[in-house]
Amino acid sequence: MAPEPPQNVGYLIAAYIVAPVILVGYLATLWARVRRALGG
Amino acid sequence: MPDSLRLALAVAGKDIRAELRSRTALLSAVVFAALVLVVFNFARDPTALAATDLAPSVLWVTFALAAMVALNRAFTIEREHGALDGLLLAPVPREALFVGKLLANLAFVGTVEAVTLPLFVLFFNVDLWAALPGIIGVTALATIGFVSVGTIFSAMAVRTRFAELMLPVLLLPFMVPPLIGAVQVTSRLLAGRPLSEMLGWLRLLALYDVVFVTLCTMAFTAVVDE
Amino acid sequence: MTAFDAVGRASLARATARRGLRISLVALLGLAGVYVLALGYTPVELRQGPAQKIFYLHVPAAWSALIAFSLVGITSALYLWLHDPRLDRFAASSAEVGVAFSAVMLTTGPIWAKPIWGTWWTWDARLTLTLFLFFLFIGYLALRASLHDPEERARFSAVVGILGMLLVPFIHLSVYLFRTLHPQPVVLKPSAPSLPPEMLRTLLVSTAMFTLLYVGLVTLRYGLALAEEARDEAADGA
Repeated sequence: MAPEPPQNVGYLIAAYIVAPVILVGYLATLWARVRRALGG
Repeated sequence: MPDSLRLALAVAGKDIRAELRSRTALLSAVVFAALVLVVFNFARDPTALAATDLAPSVLWVTFALAAMVALNRAFTIEREHGALDGLLLAPVPREALFVGKLLANLAFVGTVEAVTLPLFVLFFNVDLWAALPGIIGVTALATIGFVSVGTIFSAMAVRTRFAELMLPVLLLPFMVPPLIGAVQVTSRLLAGRPLSEMLGWLRLLALYDVVFVTLCTMAFTAVVDE
Repeated sequence: MTAFDAVGRASLARATARRGLRISLVALLGLAGVYVLALGYTPVELRQGPAQKIFYLHVPAAWSALIAFSLVGITSALYLWLHDPRLDRFAASSAEVGVAFSAVMLTTGPIWAKPIWGTWWTWDARLTLTLFLFFLFIGYLALRASLHDPEERARFSAVVGILGMLLVPFIHLSVYLFRTLHPQPVVLKPSAPSLPPEMLRTLLVSTAMFTLLYVGLVTLRYGLALAEEARDEAADGA
């Protein structure tokens, strides 16, 4: 019988959500700071 | 060259004399170190681990923290008395100034360590008489590493508002390699292991010292000159 | 500082920031493509299961963080030599962006480690080094935040940047020596020595997108630095 890979999709989903949240969140913060510095 | 050396020694002498005159910094650093040792004693479960297993780590964490307290105090005194500004007006080589400050700080931290070591032996019942020359040697090597980076960082931190917080935040990552090496060598010394088992770590400590003393000496001018 | 200069600086800032934003958005689009590749195209690894695919985010993030850090060190050294404020602005931008990528590493790392190694954290060489990079970045940014004279801030940060760059080999060496003394239980090596072509291709595309994202974010952050300088000059002049 062929061996089965372990069931750990939950971790995959967690990582694939956390990473873009950090990166997109940082991008959004940067853009907001730019608008504040230029608009104000 | 001899002129620079004489200047460095003069700067060191002046700082050391200033420190000896008001002994509060030295005393508070020593008291701090003693209290850290006391805290360590109560912070562990005596039935879980033998004192000898933890001894090198306890000693070196205490030395590292004491060095930071001492460095902070040294530059606070500096800032209060403004001695450095006068020296900077003269066309003296900044490298010599740095070496002078480094020597003074080494004397200061070394004194704190020299007083802390017997307390450590007392509180943790460690027999280090046989290993004493080795302990002194490794302490010198690691302390040079701590204090060289610590001197230049405290010169910078003293210009910021939260200097007491800024110095540890900047300095602690830099204290880790000498700390790792010192703990490894100390634990081997206390266990009576042969020198061959420590050579790798000693070389790492020595290399760290050479690299960072050189670098900090060269970088000091960027910190004190406009 | 004439009014014209102030306007000119502000529009340079705006143009730089916009360019950074565009590049970043393209990179994020590319990353969406990487998600498709990673989740659909690459095979599921037999021993590690689906969680192995975290690799396609974790490793390129490490790459970007390391680039960010090296460039902080290099531009710091160049700044002390050339005293060009653009180098200082770049160093500050690269450090902040580096924090973001390090944060990705420090979160995806443990999330990956837990199912594979059974523990959230291990003091292995890569995670430990990442932690140090993170602390060095934070220290660098904290120092900058507490210094207000731009010239002093640039000089001091440059010294920290150079010293930090030289610390890294020592951290690596001491952690390595430390670990060979304390053998850890044998673990699966997450990055297999020879990857199947689908994995390798996806990894390369992801690395390219992360590099592009680094460029975009640094450009945007650089634009922000210009904008803040323009705003401060305008406030002083007013």
